[in-house]
Amino acid sequence: MTHSAGAPKIDVSTPGRLASCARGLASLNRALLIVSMGALGLAALILSTGVVLRYFFQTATDWQDEAAVFLLVGATFLCGAHVQSLGGHVAIDALSGVLSARVNHLRRILVDAVSVAFCAFFAWKSWTLCHEAWMEKQTTSSTWAPPLSIPYGLMATGMTLLALQLALSLVVRLTRERAHA
Amino acid sequence: MSTGVIGMLYAAATLFVMLIGVPIAFALGSVALLFMAIFMPAASLDTVTQNVYEEMASITLLSIPLFILKGAAIGKSRAGADLYSAIHAWLHRVPGGLGIANVFACALFAAMAGSSPATCSAIGSAGIPEMRRRGYSPGFAAGLIAAGGTLGILLPPSITMILYAVAAEQSLGRLFLAGIGPGLLLVALFSAYAAWRFRFEYRAAYAAHAATGAPSAHLQREEFTLAQKFSRLPRVVPFVVLLTGVMVALYGGYATPSETAGLGAVLALALVAVVYRLWRPSEIEPMLSSTLKESTMLMFIIGMSLLYAYVMSYLHISQSAAEWVVSLHLSRWVLLSTILLMVVVLGFFLPPVSIILMTAPIILPPLKAAGFDLIWFGVVMTIVMEMGLIHPPVGLNIFVIKNVAPDIPLGEVIRGVLPFVVLMFLAVVLVCVFPAFATALPDLLMRGRS
Repeated sequence: MTHSAGAPKIDVSTPGRLASCARGLASLNRALLIVSMGALGLAALILSTGVVLRYFFQTATDWQDEAAVFLLVGATFLCGAHVQSLGGHVAIDALSGVLSARVNHLRRILVDAVSVAFCAFFAWKSWTLCHEAWMEKQTTSSTWAPPLSIPYGLMATGMTLLALQLALSLVVRLTRERAHA
Repeated sequence: MSTGVIGMLYAAATLFVMLIGVPIAFALGSVALLFMAIFMPAASLDTVTQNVYEEMASITLLSIPLFILKGAAIGKSRAGADLYSAIHAWLHRVPGGLGIANVFACALFAAMAGSSPATCSAIGSAGIPEMRRRGYSPGFAAGLIAAGGTLGILLPPSITMILYAVAAEQSLGRLFLAGIGPGLLLVALFSAYAAWRFRFEYRAAYAAHAATGAPSAHLQREEFTLAQKFSRLPRVVPFVVLLTGVMVALYGGYATPSETAGLGAVLALALVAVVYRLWRPSEIEPMLSSTLKESTMLMFIIGMSLLYAYVMSYLHISQSAAEWVVSLHLSRWVLLSTILLMVVVLGFFLPPVSIILMTAPIILPPLKAAGFDLIWFGVVMTIVMEMGLIHPPVGLNIFVIKNVAPDIPLGEVIRGVLPFVVLMFLAVVLVCVFPAFATALPDLLMRGRS
């Protein structure tokens, strides 16, 4: 009963503020997807290199796990909005078939509103966390001790974009609702 | 308000947001936030993102995207079709050898790729047309591949098992090893059924031919020379070496599970570049982007499931529910059956990832109190969730098969998978009666190691 959560299609070729926002977000998502692809590949390389360095050169590799975690956490959050734009965050699709078109439309608006509210709150708290980590120069507890503001910043950026992507869906649905009324 | 009432409200709120269609990750996160705001100190909302980050920043959990990348690299190449055709050439003399070749190819591919849908798609796209061309009934061919694909979440490296190891705080190495015995048991059961079903269909075709002279592809024999058999090996051997090498790296103590994931991904990308010449950016990009799509979706669900479980634990919902289950004084097998039935029902609505992380705090303490080995239970639970991949209403693999062979009616696919659901149930019973299927290998290879 799970499926990919539907995102409303926006015709980005047509002029208008919504289409411009959609184009801008799509370009940003595409750029971040490419960055995330690099991060994913780099994480795989770092972990592989760690094995080689440890066994052939007896070199300590205490930094490799943290570097891989930062890269993979970053890739995960930075791709959140792109995945949402593809309807890739799975949801339970039990009611769409039994509700009328009108009620279904309202249900989708409610779904988007709950999702936006959650992601916006999460993004706000992520920025607060990032700001604290930056001001207090927080680091991880390892000997390498990289600043925690890096992963927190990536998490905040990703969740902000995700909230924007969802807000765009919500606005599109509401605009269509008004146009139909 | 009592813990019981809060727990019921928590469950009702979760059910409501999920059923209206809020994506699972956001549904779990929003319910957790709401209950934090109402029932927990205000300061807890300030640390919500830190909690999620700290739970997600586990290198074991973050090996999941790398295992998915390894699977995507192999899945996007022709490795599945080559693997299948090589095994078929070597097994063609065995009755039902083509069906058995498909089961073996599914098992090997699943162990390399670690994904059920990827296995169904890769082996099914070559295997289903070939089986149908050779006279196998469409439902049988579809059922065989759908069931073979489920081995992806049982044989290592299984993402489902990684999550279970994290949720149950069990050794991932032991859990991976524990999946191998039951995985081979399922391969044996599926192969035996394939051979029996082939003979059944062969006899029917033979009788029809004798009576009416009707031709049947079942009655034709296919021959391979030794040279043809060996000519199919060079493309397959590197991937089998990769599979073996990754397992040696993990169990030989050369690499941690996360390093194994990274190494496996790099080697898989290198192999598809060398063997299939897939090295151009335009060929690598689909592997990376499909990995990011799947892993981002999974990691969001995992992160929010962990937040959801944290709130459940803080509000003593999980502890109270576990204590309540223990206080029922159910016999250990009734307890196990009830829990597995609950897993089956949850599987109608939720992916395995959510089932494990949401239910682990509630179901594992009573099972531990009843004296069950949690590694063994992880394997049994995984087989039960495998069944969810091929039985309606979710049956993800059924829909993958519909994509691979759209001309086979859905009803026929479902009828084709049902015997395999029964075989998997039989495997669950066998693993319950003979726990050594799961525990013998880790006990043998990891005695005294965690």
